Amino acid sequence: MAESAETAGTAPLWAVVLLPVVLTVVALAAAGFDAVLSAGAEHGRGAGRGARTLRAAVAPVREGIALLARQRRRTTADDAALGRIGIALVPLAAVLAAAVVPWGFRAVTDPVVGIVWFNAMEALAWAAVWLAGWGPNSVLSLIGGYRFLAQGLAYELPHMFALTTAALGAGSLRVGEVVRAQQGMWFVVWMPAAFAVYLLSACAMAFWGPFGHPLGRDVAGGVVAEYSGVDRLLLLGGRWLLLVATAAFSVPLFLGGGHGPLLPAWAWTVLKTAGVLALLIVGRRLVPTLRMERYMEFAWLVLVPLTLLQALVVAVVVLNR
Amino acid sequence: MPDVAVFWALGALAVVSGVMVFRFDSMARATYALLLSLLCVGGLVIVLGLDYLGVVVVLMMTIEMAIMAVFMVMYMMNPAGLMPMSMLHNKKGAAVLCTLVFLLLAAGIVLAPWPKRSGRPADDPTKALGTALMGPHILTMMTLGFALFATIVATVVLATRRGRYDRFGDDLRARTADDPVRGGVGR
Amino acid sequence: MDVKGAARRVLAGSPPVLLVTLPGATAERLAVEAGLRERGWPLAESPAAAAALVVAGEPSGPHVEWLGTLWSGMPRPKAYVTVAGAAESGRALDAVPRLLIAEPLGAGPQPGPPHGVVSPPEDHEVPESHGGHADHGGHHGGLVAGLPMAERADDRDGLRLDQLHLSLGPALPDWPTGLIVDVVMQGDVIQQAEVRPVPGGPPAQGSFWNEPWQRAARGEPVTRGAAERRRCAAHLDSVGRFLAVAGWSGPAARARRLRDAVLGGAGREELVGEVRPLVRQVDGSRTLRRLTTGIGPLPAARAKSVGVTGPALVADGDAHARVCVWLKEIERSLSGLEDARALAVDAENTENTKNTESTVGPRGRCDGLLSPSRALLDALPGLLRGAEFACARLIVASVDPDLDELQGAGHG
Repeated sequence: MAESAETAGTAPLWAVVLLPVVLTVVALAAAGFDAVLSAGAEHGRGAGRGARTLRAAVAPVREGIALLARQRRRTTADDAALGRIGIALVPLAAVLAAAVVPWGFRAVTDPVVGIVWFNAMEALAWAAVWLAGWGPNSVLSLIGGYRFLAQGLAYELPHMFALTTAALGAGSLRVGEVVRAQQGMWFVVWMPAAFAVYLLSACAMAFWGPFGHPLGRDVAGGVVAEYSGVDRLLLLGGRWLLLVATAAFSVPLFLGGGHGPLLPAWAWTVLKTAGVLALLIVGRRLVPTLRMERYMEFAWLVLVPLTLLQALVVAVVVLNR
Repeated sequence: MPDVAVFWALGALAVVSGVMVFRFDSMARATYALLLSLLCVGGLVIVLGLDYLGVVVVLMMTIEMAIMAVFMVMYMMNPAGLMPMSMLHNKKGAAVLCTLVFLLLAAGIVLAPWPKRSGRPADDPTKALGTALMGPHILTMMTLGFALFATIVATVVLATRRGRYDRFGDDLRARTADDPVRGGVGR
Repeated sequence: MDVKGAARRVLAGSPPVLLVTLPGATAERLAVEAGLRERGWPLAESPAAAAALVVAGEPSGPHVEWLGTLWSGMPRPKAYVTVAGAAESGRALDAVPRLLIAEPLGAGPQPGPPHGVVSPPEDHEVPESHGGHADHGGHHGGLVAGLPMAERADDRDGLRLDQLHLSLGPALPDWPTGLIVDVVMQGDVIQQAEVRPVPGGPPAQGSFWNEPWQRAARGEPVTRGAAERRRCAAHLDSVGRFLAVAGWSGPAARARRLRDAVLGGAGREELVGEVRPLVRQVDGSRTLRRLTTGIGPLPAARAKSVGVTGPALVADGDAHARVCVWLKEIERSLSGLEDARALAVDAENTENTKNTESTVGPRGRCDGLLSPSRALLDALPGLLRGAEFACARLIVASVDPDLDELQGAGHG
């Protein structure tokens, strides 16, 4: 990125190192919460609930460490190089996308075209997931890889319109400006449709939850079916990082960023991000995995017109301001 | 100074990965070498100070290449990248043509009388681009937009074997479409 | 500090388990699943994800081969245990952490599992998530890296595209025990499908889920309540499998937990309080309906013509309809749990319609010459043709044939 003209909204250099760490910590917390809810469904209201909850809360950490003990794995006639590039791209894309998310009012970088940057980094996941699915030369993982491309075609357009709507409301593609424009009223108040669509696409681009079909159980894990050890850790961990990054980005876009009473700005960002993540993690349990041959029609016939209408409303308001 | 170094590094990488497109014997590798080349070009545009265009190149090319890989694999009969294949056809003709085009373009760069810079670049090139596209060039953009859209529609119409009469019956009265794969809205 | 060793101890603390069920080992599978839940160990989806291969049942000749392929696909460290009887499951699972820690570090010759399992170079049974092994099975011209190239054929849109011969099962996650479906695929659309049981044949003792009816047919005293209990558990098992395939893990886990509670003899009141909300949630989910209507339609007329008798016939419709019938029967069975009347299976008088109520097992009539799952298997290829991979998985799960029955009916 070219250096932005004003650096007021930019964090010091050490934030570059801190960012992946913070992302990982938040991702572990979110995954832990998810595991606790899953354990609840698994065991019901039986005895020993407290101990199980505690055990589930640290399960993601344990699983991550356990993967380090395992061999990496190759398959016959695979393209290991491409597969590993794909795998590495997932966490990389997450960190690069998160670089423009302001924590409080300061982001690691606040480029003029921050919103487009975020969108471009998240689009790297298209390449990443397909490559990771292609690499092992296995049917089930390739089916998983193709599923994500279909998913991308379904979610990307409504997603772009949702992003555009927020930028339109602020009159800028700079994330800092978008936050500043929400000083009085959060965008979610007058852009509810765009916010809802954004939440859907946040799950979709992290291929997680209801949009986890590329890694579906019906294809034995799909993209991740043939990976073990570090490869598996990077892919599954990168998925959580992506989810955290996309959930966190909804805060400056629609939820007023660091704006809020009493608490400092960074605390508001963390609180709101946690809220969005909790909403996604709880909400995911309400629906089965969405198959794209069904969701595609919904996305194009319902969500695209909906987001276009939302953008029209915002445009009219902005013009009359 | 670092800008210049980055420029040359990206430029070199773009050319090298562009060459690799023709050296790789796997469809997937060739496609993604092309993507790498295009990403470098996007980076070059950013280094030149046109942030918006650069990032949009990265965004669009990633999505396009990801989709293109599917079609390449589908039509080029290279299942799971197993069969090594050459990306080169008509080697001699292509080589001659490429050399000629390269020489022509290079000659153009060297020989063209480049104008001196008049005025100074806009503070916000993104805004300048937007006002230019939506202002004096709006007619071009609209024409382009409609032409592209018409092309897409025409291509789909030509490609599909099934029209609405196949889907909804001869009198178009059927409540749900007769498709091999059912959609999710429940029409 | 020994980082690798510490990580390995963490792995041994909750190893992901690839649970493979052999024909006739339903009781063992249930015991292992309950044991895994108790320990909080995850179920692995593929060999690559698994640290332990747990086989429910006693592997014999024909199974050793495909189990060996699974085993060789697992990354180290890994452990292998078999569970020959339901009562043994706890001891077998307890052995897993020990085996994982004990396995020597570092590379070396790939140790086969105990029982001398070897990994065959060519194998047609276990394509499941097995890298290169996945895309072969036909006999074509070219070989690349020892694997045959795909052939071409016309697809449903009139394009000439690659055709892939593939066998699904028997170790896919949430897949009916002992089922193999040989498919010809283009993209992920199934062009042709053929169904066969895993080599080695069905178990002599018949199906676990039909046990009350079989015992009644042999003249042993069985209450209707006991039969309803088994039916309820069988359907909860099927619903759990279907929901897992549909990617709805929460309700799937609840269905399986309730299945075990039902089999464990929990009281009616206690069960109703938990089963009803589950049934409401699944039955009332508009998303699930949107996602599964129109998949694998099996009209009653067609079902009857291939001899289907159970819920699949009652459903008279698609995958979603079949699941709804299961849910209805689950609720109905619950109300009959305390029925102490004797289950009367009149094997002589199969045409007696008054008796059908009590002779219909979880998957259909247990008194006919054709076992209910045989009919379901006969109906399956027709349902799978033209379906996409994800839909095919849902279709199989919504029919959920029990291959252990194939033997049972003849002996009934």
